Amino acid sequence: MIELIQTYWLYFLVGQYPQGPLGGLALTVLLAAVALVLSMPAGLLLGLARVSRVAAIRWPVTAFVFIVRGTPLLMVVFWAYFFLPSLTGHKTDQFSTMLMALVVFDGVYLAEILRAGIRAIPAGQFLAARSLGMTPWQVMRSVVLPQALRHMLPSLVNQFVATIKATSLGYIIGLNEVSFIAAQINTQVFTHATEVYLLLGITYFALCFGLSRIAFWIERRLSQRTPAWQAAEAVPVHAS
Amino acid sequence: MRSRLTAVIGLFLSAFLLAPLAHADQLADIKNKGEIVFGVLGTDEPNSFVDPKTREIVGYEVDISKAIAKKLGVKPVFKQLSVAARIPKLQQGRVDVLAASLTHNKERESQVDFSLTTFVTGQKVLVKTSSGIKDLPQLSGKRVLTVKGGTQEPNIRKAVPGVDVVTFETTQQAFLALQQGKGVGYVNDEASIVNDYAKLGPAKKDYAILSQSISVEPLALGLRKGETALKTQVDGVLRELESSGEAEKLFFKWYGPSTKLQFDKRSFKIDSDKIAG
Amino acid sequence: MPSFDPGLLLHGQYHDWLVNGFVLSVELAAMALVLGLPLALAIAVMRLAPVRALRATGLAYVEGIRNIPLLAHLLFWYFGAPELLPEPVKAWLYSGNVEVASALVALTLYVAAYMAEDIRSGVRSVSPGQLDAARALGFGYLGAMRLVVLPQAVRATVPALISQALNLWKDTSVATVIGVGEMMYQAARVESASFRSAEAFAFCTTAYLCVSLTITALASWMQRRYPVRPA
Repeated sequence: MIELIQTYWLYFLVGQYPQGPLGGLALTVLLAAVALVLSMPAGLLLGLARVSRVAAIRWPVTAFVFIVRGTPLLMVVFWAYFFLPSLTGHKTDQFSTMLMALVVFDGVYLAEILRAGIRAIPAGQFLAARSLGMTPWQVMRSVVLPQALRHMLPSLVNQFVATIKATSLGYIIGLNEVSFIAAQINTQVFTHATEVYLLLGITYFALCFGLSRIAFWIERRLSQRTPAWQAAEAVPVHAS
Repeated sequence: MRSRLTAVIGLFLSAFLLAPLAHADQLADIKNKGEIVFGVLGTDEPNSFVDPKTREIVGYEVDISKAIAKKLGVKPVFKQLSVAARIPKLQQGRVDVLAASLTHNKERESQVDFSLTTFVTGQKVLVKTSSGIKDLPQLSGKRVLTVKGGTQEPNIRKAVPGVDVVTFETTQQAFLALQQGKGVGYVNDEASIVNDYAKLGPAKKDYAILSQSISVEPLALGLRKGETALKTQVDGVLRELESSGEAEKLFFKWYGPSTKLQFDKRSFKIDSDKIAG
Repeated sequence: MPSFDPGLLLHGQYHDWLVNGFVLSVELAAMALVLGLPLALAIAVMRLAPVRALRATGLAYVEGIRNIPLLAHLLFWYFGAPELLPEPVKAWLYSGNVEVASALVALTLYVAAYMAEDIRSGVRSVSPGQLDAARALGFGYLGAMRLVVLPQAVRATVPALISQALNLWKDTSVATVIGVGEMMYQAARVESASFRSAEAFAFCTTAYLCVSLTITALASWMQRRYPVRPA
């Protein structure tokens, strides 16, 4: 096992870089991070569209969310890989395909997280800001969202963990992320299949468990620092 | 203000509509961009594979691609593709040329154009001697392993009706499954099979390559349909490589007696893009 | 690209492949659910047990499984774990349908970890007084759980479990990487045989959505019929 690690650790961590595109664990984390960041505006838009009073916006978006949540992520990846290019005229490689699929997938789940986070801010905040003369957009931007995002941090980190796990599907379209690299290494050293995949599991575990511990720690810190009045007055901004 | 917005939107939309027409001449595009993108497998030794020491993609088809790029005066860029994604990605324009162990057959001629045949091989089956299988018909009712999305699965099913096939994402995964005993046979191009057989080292004695080929596979570079200028250039480079003796040198560099495959002669010449049948 | 041809999906060889794939997907999900639920129950009980060692084992199981993607689990149970078995067992296993067996093991363990957490939350939503009262009446820990706490926890847990069943149904698609002939595998196969990806993928998407719709409808029905009563 030690020999395995010694020979292949660089390939496992960064793939072919710099003699080729970035791969391995570095690619996994990068892909997940970029996908999460890009999916936040998408999630916000989707969340707002879902509660919109305009039926022409609400219905298609609800149908879209339902379809995305009802099909496997792998299906979304295949559609993006084989079809999106011919529809939009844009060329896509494995990284962009996975990125698009993850942004769509994350966006849909983030819409729910964002909605819950915004609803948890007491109505008083919103009303007070409006009575000071702020427009609804300014209220969102300067008062509600900053508070909501702080509280959503643990959920966001958990979504980051889920995204990291989802990047493993890149294996199937030949993306050089860490599972694919592990399989490549495995075929170089035929008889150590168990060790290679055990190491892969341990790597994911270390990464994901570590991140979820951080989320837990953030959550604890936040609940210690919440002022009493805010914790007591948790009336939702919008009913339902 | 409104008319300006409309104009911008109109321009934007027309860009999308016109985009497909934009690459009417791929060769000119390539020369303008200064680079040519080759789609390779990167998992098929010795056609294209990742050298574990340098972590670069190298191989027979990689060298041919580099020669083409040099002749055109542009930089070669290599993109790794899975077997199943080769033709779709070429059609969508993600790669300019396929150098991915692509078999030239009649069915594919409606989807892509082919260069001169760069390699001729057959597909064969690698078995474990412990299975007692000596020829193809004995595979009926048994399980064979191969890669998804290539010609291997249809060929073995045609050659042995009643065979059970399980496919994997890469040829190496299928080969690993054979070694572990999850099937009795592994189907792939002869050159790849000989390469894998050689990699076994001392374990070679437990394996045998069935002598019957299940198909003849002329491999060629894949080009988008209708790109005649590019095809003429590519074929021109290939003919030059052949007449100067470079092509044969490349063959022996990757397939010759000093390599794992140990082919001692080349059974084909790079001179034609016609196939039998 | 040739135009969309729905006839391809309704009869003929490709249709058969896709339908077989669908059937296998459903079977895989159903079997994993049936095997996973009792395991999940056991893990949940372990995590709530008064014995420290049991709680630690339960926690290790849940955290270990949940922090590793399903794809890695599948690769491990197919390429890695069977190699450790003794020769005769290995030979017997490989002569059968080892792909489905490995997929089943991976999926069962995976879904059990998630369901165990949902069951645990459901149990914790039952007021602790219930457990104390049961124990005061002389029931052992297991008896108290079985007869008093778990039946009350079920109502709170069922919606979450149905949600996990939905995830399981979608997760069967990943088994394609170890050669299981379920629906995604067959769709890729149809695509490479006929170049008709649109039809094959449309079939798959529709099939996945139909079952997802059924499961979601079941969840809504349950919520209306058996609403969760606050503690």
